[in-house]
Amino acid sequence: MRSHTRLLTVLDRAENGPMLEEREFDQLVANTVRELTLKYGIKYNRQEAINLSDDLADRLFEAGMELATRVGVYCTSTHRRLIFSEAEIREALRFAPGELEIGSGLDRVIIKNRVPEDPRIPANTGGPYGTPLTEDLYTYIMQSYVQEPIIDAVVNGTFATIYGRPPKTHTPWEVLLAWREVELSKAAAQRAGRPGISLGCVENAVTEIGELSGTSYGGFTPVDWHHVCFTSELKTSYALLIKVAHLIQTGCIIHDFCNPIYGGYAGGAEGVAMVAVAGVILMAVVNMSTTHSICPTHPFFESDTAPEIVWAISASQQALNRNTHLLTTVMTSPVSGPGTESLLYEAATIATAATVSGTARIDGVRSGAGVCQDHVSGLEARFNAEISHAVAGMPREQANELIKEWQQHYVPLLDKKPVGQSFTEVYDLKTLRPKDHWQKIYDEVKERLFKQGVQFK
Amino acid sequence: MNRELLDKLQDAAANGEVEKAAAATKEALAAGMDPIDIFENYLVPVMDQVGEKFGRLEIFLPDLMMAADVAKAVKEVIEPSIKDRATIGEGRSCVVLGTVMGDVHDIGKNMVSLLLEVNGFKVIDLGTNVPVFDFIKAAEKEQAQIIAMSSLLTTSMPYMAELIKALEETGKRKNWKVVVGGGPVSPEWAKSIGADGYGKDAREAVEVCRRLSVE
Ligand code: B12
Repeated sequence: MRSHTRLLTVLDRAENGPMLEEREFDQLVANTVRELTLKYGIKYNRQEAINLSDDLADRLFEAGMELATRVGVYCTSTHRRLIFSEAEIREALRFAPGELEIGSGLDRVIIKNRVPEDPRIPANTGGPYGTPLTEDLYTYIMQSYVQEPIIDAVVNGTFATIYGRPPKTHTPWEVLLAWREVELSKAAAQRAGRPGISLGCVENAVTEIGELSGTSYGGFTPVDWHHVCFTSELKTSYALLIKVAHLIQTGCIIHDFCNPIYGGYAGGAEGVAMVAVAGVILMAVVNMSTTHSICPTHPFFESDTAPEIVWAISASQQALNRNTHLLTTVMTSPVSGPGTESLLYEAATIATAATVSGTARIDGVRSGAGVCQDHVSGLEARFNAEISHAVAGMPREQANELIKEWQQHYVPLLDKKPVGQSFTEVYDLKTLRPKDHWQKIYDEVKERLFKQGVQFK
Repeated sequence: MNRELLDKLQDAAANGEVEKAAAATKEALAAGMDPIDIFENYLVPVMDQVGEKFGRLEIFLPDLMMAADVAKAVKEVIEPSIKDRATIGEGRSCVVLGTVMGDVHDIGKNMVSLLLEVNGFKVIDLGTNVPVFDFIKAAEKEQAQIIAMSSLLTTSMPYMAELIKALEETGKRKNWKVVVGGGPVSPEWAKSIGADGYGKDAREAVEVCRRLSVE
């Protein structure tokens, strides 16, 4: 792929870039973000749920670009900064794909870039997103997502145990974890009648070991989507670059993600938005990834649904989608879990904020902040996707008013972490359909949203 | 009450003015103030405020970094003039801290690290991806009282159990208190692996380390 040609440059810079202690780099990021927030006049307006100003979005893009060129990416293995000139970055962005086919055979889908208020519907993925799952339930839970036709691609969960033993990473167990993920996620796809659906993997690859092993003969394929992140903020390492090198040599689709932390080195909402922009730009350059995800995270709720973060997501997505053709993605990561109304309001909020901000693909739902074993189900992912279909083309002003209303239903609960019920409590394992009480909550919330003007297809 | 010292320390902590804090402390010492008084009645309340503000997210991690630098600077100035070291910062011992093997999640760990420093603890931060025996080696070298581990992954949590098991099997369990925390870690799990303490957030981490230091 022509956007995969920078590997040697990246590796050279990781060895030859300017040296710096990690703490100094953190300070550099913090100081530069503060300076650029003032210079570009980036201001979060608490009165609005999402950004409504094109001008602010464009200034935010330029601020993110300046941040990217000035601080670069820190490699924690070599203690060096990988610096790229603005010309190099702009060229990388120019040759980054604006369209991508994932999956195989009859299950291929195409993801296209979008712009804010674009009437074209975004692509959608669904899955437990790394949430630990009971081994015996893994295939059932995965199937609950694959069987939803609205979902274009799935993303795997992780294992709570491996053959009943502690799933210890960075050991031979990680190899087994990766292969169990290959085996059971493919089984779920097969059972649901979508053997070629693209699988988001290797979720059990905490280190490079799982990715290298799971993406080899008989394992995950080039048209699955392979995760490589940046650590917060704007950092990489040899472990991550090993994944990149392997995925490029095997011609795989690379999906990146970075989760700027609210209240962390990026600071508040403005800084989170700026680091999200810079992060996506730099991941496109360094990870040579084709889809780019952000999930800014609240330090105490561990979700991306707090109002400050919703705004930061919308602003950064508008900045990127107005000024590049990158395939952006946003993940819904709520505090609530299955069987709760608040989960659906959190999902509606993120899916709407992202869709009207031009995001190319809506991902999720990582229910219960992704830490509560088995507290995930296909129904919320279906809902998340249905929302994105319904609001595509909606003016941002209208979305803004809806989100403000929805936030009243869940913001007071953020610190209560209403993780709801586990998969077996909300789904019937025999029929693999939602149980009545969960279906009823879903129907009722949909009905209410419909009356508010959400045109479900 | 030396109002001026309090104001100066407060300003310095808010703006990261390390030299200003050190100078104000030196002045206070020269004027005959008791170093322990400075620590307990001036530095600690200022830093408590910092911690509380962070708990409400009125300030962020970079502010915490600055305040931690100020706390360290003040401690360095007063330490030599304290004869009976045992009395300073009672309940604020040396903590060896890190994110366990295979795991690179460090934001929570950094928050814990800074808040401990802000509260007068000596923190040896080993960073991320720390092998079990590196914790133990560092704790021995630094004569630490507490080993604190952070994990965000169910796949790295087993290393916490492994460390405690290793301490037990090498007859070293009594040498250190072991504290655990991080997203998926629960108080029940902490108990089940025989940890001495657990904290659900950075403020609880400080509390539990304080409690374990005086025990
Ligand atoms: C941000 C984040 C990332 C960032 C981390 C950035 C960084 N530098 O830290 C990035 C993008 C790098 C990342 C990567 C990955 N992540 Co991640 N990540 C998260 C997320 C969203 C939030 C974590 C966070 O920073 N929270 C905010 C901080 C402030 O909270 P905290 O760490 O819990 O710390 C607080 C307390 O716990 C406590 N505390 C923390 N440590 C300690 C220690 C002691 C002693 C005490 C007393 C208290 C204490 O105090 C802190 C302050 O209040 C979580 C989701 C979640 N719900 O936690 C997933 C999550 C942890 N990640 C997950 C996964 C799977 C991964 C990856 C493996 C994905 C992949 N396939 O590549 C990689 C792993 C890379 C690796 N080798 O570790 C899973 C883990 C699932 C599981 N099986 O356990 C989670 C749960 C999400 C999910 N479902 O996918 N991730």
